[in-house]
Amino acid sequence: MTGSFSFAGFAQLMLFSMVPFVLAAQGTMLGGRAGVFNVAQEGIMLASASLGFLVAFKTGSVALGFGSAMVLGGLSGLVLSLGSTILGMNQFVIGITLTLAGLGLSTLMPKLAIGVTLTPPLAPTLTNNPIPFLGKMPVLGEVLFRQNVLVTFTVLVSIALWYVLFRTSAGLILRATGENPMAVDALGLDVFRIRHIAVMIGGMLIGLAGAYLPLAYTGTFTEGMVKGRGWLSIALAFFGGFEPGRIFWGGLFFAAVEVLAYRVQIGGSWVPYQFILMLPYLATMGVMALSSRRSRIPGFLGKNYDRERRSTSSQGQG
Amino acid sequence: MPDRPCESGFLLRQASGGGFLPAKRPLTWLVVGLATFGITVLVLAALGPDVPRAIATIATTSFRTRNGFVQTLLKLVPVSLMAFAFTIPLGAGKYNIGGEGQLLAGAIGATAVGLFAASLPRPLLVPFVLLVGVVMGSLWGFVPGWLLHRFGVHEILTTVLMNFVALHLVNYVAADLWPDPFAGHPTTIPIAREAFLPLLLVRPPLHCGPVIAILVGVAVWIYCCHTVAGFELAACGANPRASKVFGIDVRRASLSSLMIGGGLAGLAGALEVAGVHHRLLEGMQSNFQTLGILTGLIAGGDPRRVLPVAFFLSVLEVGAGALQRTMRAPIEVVFLVEAFVLVAVLVSDRAGRWRS
Repeated sequence: MTGSFSFAGFAQLMLFSMVPFVLAAQGTMLGGRAGVFNVAQEGIMLASASLGFLVAFKTGSVALGFGSAMVLGGLSGLVLSLGSTILGMNQFVIGITLTLAGLGLSTLMPKLAIGVTLTPPLAPTLTNNPIPFLGKMPVLGEVLFRQNVLVTFTVLVSIALWYVLFRTSAGLILRATGENPMAVDALGLDVFRIRHIAVMIGGMLIGLAGAYLPLAYTGTFTEGMVKGRGWLSIALAFFGGFEPGRIFWGGLFFAAVEVLAYRVQIGGSWVPYQFILMLPYLATMGVMALSSRRSRIPGFLGKNYDRERRSTSSQGQG
Repeated sequence: MPDRPCESGFLLRQASGGGFLPAKRPLTWLVVGLATFGITVLVLAALGPDVPRAIATIATTSFRTRNGFVQTLLKLVPVSLMAFAFTIPLGAGKYNIGGEGQLLAGAIGATAVGLFAASLPRPLLVPFVLLVGVVMGSLWGFVPGWLLHRFGVHEILTTVLMNFVALHLVNYVAADLWPDPFAGHPTTIPIAREAFLPLLLVRPPLHCGPVIAILVGVAVWIYCCHTVAGFELAACGANPRASKVFGIDVRRASLSSLMIGGGLAGLAGALEVAGVHHRLLEGMQSNFQTLGILTGLIAGGDPRRVLPVAFFLSVLEVGAGALQRTMRAPIEVVFLVEAFVLVAVLVSDRAGRWRS
């Protein structure tokens, strides 16, 4: 660790880096609560990072960049939910296909739109929006209230999701869809429609998480820049037991590991820096192993619902 | 079930509802082929190059010259092995997205042997290089398998996370541990000449990897379709609960399927080191994992279809490389084509099932 370590700086960076993890994991959670297991985060995030950057670069508007990324994410979610409901295809197979498609699109789009350049093209990035009065507080102001809009948005979305899931009847129906779609169907509600809506909104959050990387971190899109954050966010959703609150706190932990690895790499240590860079992935596997017994997942996660099938025991085999 | 003697368990389960099955009817394949051709023409037209010439480049580069054909065969090796690394666990209902890391682990192992066991006699050294590659890949598959076996952590996550661990490890080995100081890119020093794979052709150089890939293909087919262990794997994929009732250790079957898959990906890495690069270099994993998964899905997990599909994709890849060199079209064009083939195969199958 270097001498320039300051707790406030660390905490500020941690909140800044938490955004993509938490948004993508909340998106995963939302689809999962309806019983659809999205495994395409990495691909969706890459494609929307690429598209979001391109739109922001061409139009000069960060907001349009994020907007287009949300649209792309929502569409990917829709492909997943339509494929797994109407076509009855395996959710993992669609997810893997979407991952590959996102990977390919993310490098194809910049080539078509910009071509190969010597210097990386730069798009405008998110600026920090200090909240009046609160932002002027000494340490707390720096950490909490002088962040960009999406940090605030992530906190609010997490609270809102918790409220909707556990304090409204819509949330109860959504949770029931992931636990027991037969019961939801028996109530006369449309299981497929609930899945479409949940997975689409989830996809939008994942798209937003992807666009955050070029539009808040670097200002440009580089190949493979998501660096596994999509997969880590799936792990985060499991770690958080598909509960918005626990996902939020877990996201802070994931971000802390990332920032720590970065700090140690810069500061130098006796361990080769490549091993420090493995830390987030190894830590995630360790955490998954330790929490797997305790965290609850929706009973119908990853399983398709087929009305035509009579017996409840044969439901969800696919 | 009787009319599908060689279908993996995963597919049997999917056949009973909610999954995919590769199209069987020739008509469906014809539709898929025509639709793919149409989309290729559209994409190429949108990009601007001379469409007939571009298509001729993609389709014939592999067959026009001897070099083109050799390039295609060399591509076939890692693509088919990575496809098996994906389909064998898939047969047991497990998703191995970690082929890339397993390939790199195998490559690291093979490089270490090629550098430090060079005093062994050649007939022993080459098999030893490949064996260590297999063991390292298998180890990389063991970690997710064990986490699944012991803690129930979903393998789709851990296999991918192991990829990132391997990527950083390769960077460490190639840039810091045994670096080649004259290379401008993280690369190790070359392995001993005695550890190179025997050549089938000298000019252009063709190592014996394609023969090994075909032998592996036959072995996988025998294992999956004609042995008790392979049947147990398929049974676990088809119905884990019933398998358990009948005394199969389901969790151990998952673990061993991931280890076998990892071993084959590791073999691919060792073959790339001993046959193509003769050293470990960063980025040697290319897009083999993507192509392997595409192959495995298009083949529908059937081991008999993997090699032909892998050959088809290799032809496309080599053609796309030529297209990029001669007509300056982005190489991702062919990726769109491949993705479309996959989607067409998946969707046409569902559509076909509705009719019947």
